[in-house]
Amino acid sequence: MTTPILEIRNLHARIEDREILKGVNLIIPPGQVHAVMGRNGSGKSTLSYVLAGKEDYEITEGEVLLDGQDLLAMEPDERAAAGLFLAFQYPIEIPGVATMTFLKAAMNAQRKKRGEPEMLTPDFMRAVKQAGVDLNVDNDMLKRPLNVGFSGGEKKRAEVLQMALLQPKMCILDETDSGLDIDALQVVAKGVNALRSANRSMLVITHYQRLLNHIVPDVVHVFSDGRIVESGDKDLALQLEAKGYADFDNAAA
Amino acid sequence: MKQTMPVRLSAAENTLIEQLTGLGATVEAERMTMAGLPTRRVESYHYTDLKMLLKAVPPLAQAANEASAPALRVAGAHQVMIANGRVQESGTAPAGVIIGKADGAALTNRDDVLVHLNGALAKETLTLTLDGTVDPVVQIDRRTEGAAAHSASSARIFVADNASAVVLETYAGSDAAHVANHASYVTVGKNAVLTHITVDLSSKSATHFATNEYTLAEGAKLRTLTIHAGAGLARSQVFARFAGEGAHAYFTGLNLVDNGQHLDITIDINHAVPNTTSQELYKQIARGRSKAVFQGRIMVSRDAQKTDAKMMMQGLMLSDEAEILSKPELEIYADDVVCGHGSTCGELDEDSMFYLMSRGIPKAEAETMLVRGFLEELVDPIADEALAEALHGVIDGWLLGK
Repeated sequence: MTTPILEIRNLHARIEDREILKGVNLIIPPGQVHAVMGRNGSGKSTLSYVLAGKEDYEITEGEVLLDGQDLLAMEPDERAAAGLFLAFQYPIEIPGVATMTFLKAAMNAQRKKRGEPEMLTPDFMRAVKQAGVDLNVDNDMLKRPLNVGFSGGEKKRAEVLQMALLQPKMCILDETDSGLDIDALQVVAKGVNALRSANRSMLVITHYQRLLNHIVPDVVHVFSDGRIVESGDKDLALQLEAKGYADFDNAAA
Repeated sequence: MKQTMPVRLSAAENTLIEQLTGLGATVEAERMTMAGLPTRRVESYHYTDLKMLLKAVPPLAQAANEASAPALRVAGAHQVMIANGRVQESGTAPAGVIIGKADGAALTNRDDVLVHLNGALAKETLTLTLDGTVDPVVQIDRRTEGAAAHSASSARIFVADNASAVVLETYAGSDAAHVANHASYVTVGKNAVLTHITVDLSSKSATHFATNEYTLAEGAKLRTLTIHAGAGLARSQVFARFAGEGAHAYFTGLNLVDNGQHLDITIDINHAVPNTTSQELYKQIARGRSKAVFQGRIMVSRDAQKTDAKMMMQGLMLSDEAEILSKPELEIYADDVVCGHGSTCGELDEDSMFYLMSRGIPKAEAETMLVRGFLEELVDPIADEALAEALHGVIDGWLLGK
C-alpha cells in the first residue's frame, strides 16, 4: 500500500481555553482531491492553520503525517520545504517587498533546505513567466509589493502562482473562492486543475458547493463542531447545498 | 531680577568651559557655567538628557595627519573632505559646483547648546555653491581622526535659483571616543531642487551631533534623509524655514538603533509664509537595550495660510528592552491649513512572519525581509542608483550586524 500524502489522526487543537478541533481523522492518498465543507466557525480554517504551523494554536492530542513524516514537529518553513502549501483565504500584504523578490527567496529557501542548488536567475525568470501566463499574472504585478493593493482576484491568482512555482506535494486551499467573481474563479480553478497530478494531493476547504463545480473533488467531507462527521463522493456536496448543514449537526453525537 | 544659581557642574561641563575659555568664547563659557548642559527639564532635550549622557569631553581636535577609508563610497560622487574640522583640498570640482572656504562657523544664533558650541568651536566653513544642473552626487566626507577628540565642522550649502543637486554628507572617523559637532547651513534658492542626505557612520564609541538649518525660497523643493547608523550617542537636529511661497519639502529620517545606543532625531519646521507644503516621515527601528528618540515640531505662522503638512513616525521594536520615544507637535497660528501627525509603534507582524515562513522562508530571513520592506519607502524614491545602492548597503550592514 502506498503511503498517504496526508494522514491526520485524532487531531485536537485549542486556542487559549477554547477547543476548536475535537478529533479530526483524515487520510488523503496521492493524487486525490478532498473537499472539506462546513459552516462558518466549524473549525475548517483552524485545521488549515494548524497544518501549516501557525503559532496561535496548541495541539493537545493526535498526530499528522506528511508523506510519512511527523508534520507537527516541524516549523512552518520546514513544512513548506517538506511539500506542504497553504493557499490563504486572506493573503497577507507585505509592503516594500516586491512580489518577484519574495518568489525567488521562497523558491531558493525551499531548495536550499532540500539540499538542491539555487535556481539561476534566468531559469527562475523563465519559470515565473511561464506560470504567470496561464494565471494572467504579468510583469507589472510581479514588480509590485507582495499583495499590496492587489484586488481579490489578483491575490488569489498570486497564491496559485506561488503554488505552481513551489510544486508542493500537498496543497491546502482555504476558501479560495471567497472574494472572487465567476470569471476570476474560473481562472483560479483552471490554474489549480492544471496542478492536479498523480503524486500531488489537495485539500479544498470551502463552504460553498460552487467551487466544487470547477475543482471536482474525489471525496467530500462534512466538517461540524471541530471534526469530520460525514464523508462521501462529490454528490454529498450537492446534497449539502440543497439541505444545508443542519442534518449533520448531530451526526457525530 | 531673577537670581540664577550656577548649577553643579559635571566633568564634561568643566572640560567644555575650559575649552570655551581657551578659545576666547567667554559668552559661551559663561552660559555653560550658569546653565550647564541641558537636562530632561529642558523640553527640547527631555528624552536626551545631555548632562547625564555626555560623560566626558575629549581634548579639542588637532589637524588630522591621516584619514581612514571613506565611510561610504558612491560611484561617480565628487568628494570633499573635512577632517577634524579642517576643509581639505579636493580635486577639480564638477560643472556647476564651486567649492571654497570661509572663516568661522555657518549656523545662525539659534538658542541651542549644540548650535552655540559649534559656533564657538568651528574655525572654518566649507562653502559649497551649486548652480545649474549638477549631475554627480556631491559628497561631504566629514571625519574625526586620530586619538579621541572634540571636533566641530561647518558647511554652508547654497543652491542657486533653478539649480538642482544631490548632496550626501557622511560622518565617520577613527574608532575612538570622539565628540563631534557638525553643522550645515543650507539655502535652497527659487525653484531649486535639492536632495540632502546625511548618514552617521561613526564608530560606536563616538558621540555624534549634527545640526542642519534650511531656508527654502519661493518654489524650492527639498528632500532630506537623516540616517543614524554609527555613533553610540547621536542627535541630529533639523531646523527648516519656509521663506518663499510654493516651496515643498519632504523630510525623512531613520534611526537604526542597536544595543547600548541612544539616537535622537529632532526636527523643527516653520511654515512662515502662505502656500507651502511639507511631509515628514521618520522611522525608528531598535533592538537590544537601546533608545530611539524622535521629536518633531511643525510650526505654522499666523500668515502661513494654505499650509499643508503631514508628519508621521513609525517605530519597529525588535526586542523587549528597546525603547522608542516619539513626540510629534503641531503649533498652528493660521486658521486655513491642513496639518496632521501620526505615530505608530509595534513589533514585527506575526501574520506577516507566518505568511513568509509558510512559503519556506526561514525565520531570520523572513525578519530581515520584513524589516527591509518596512524601510524601503525611505530609500525607494532616491533616483541616483549608486546612491540608493550605498544606502541599502548601510541598512543591510545594520541588519547583518545583529
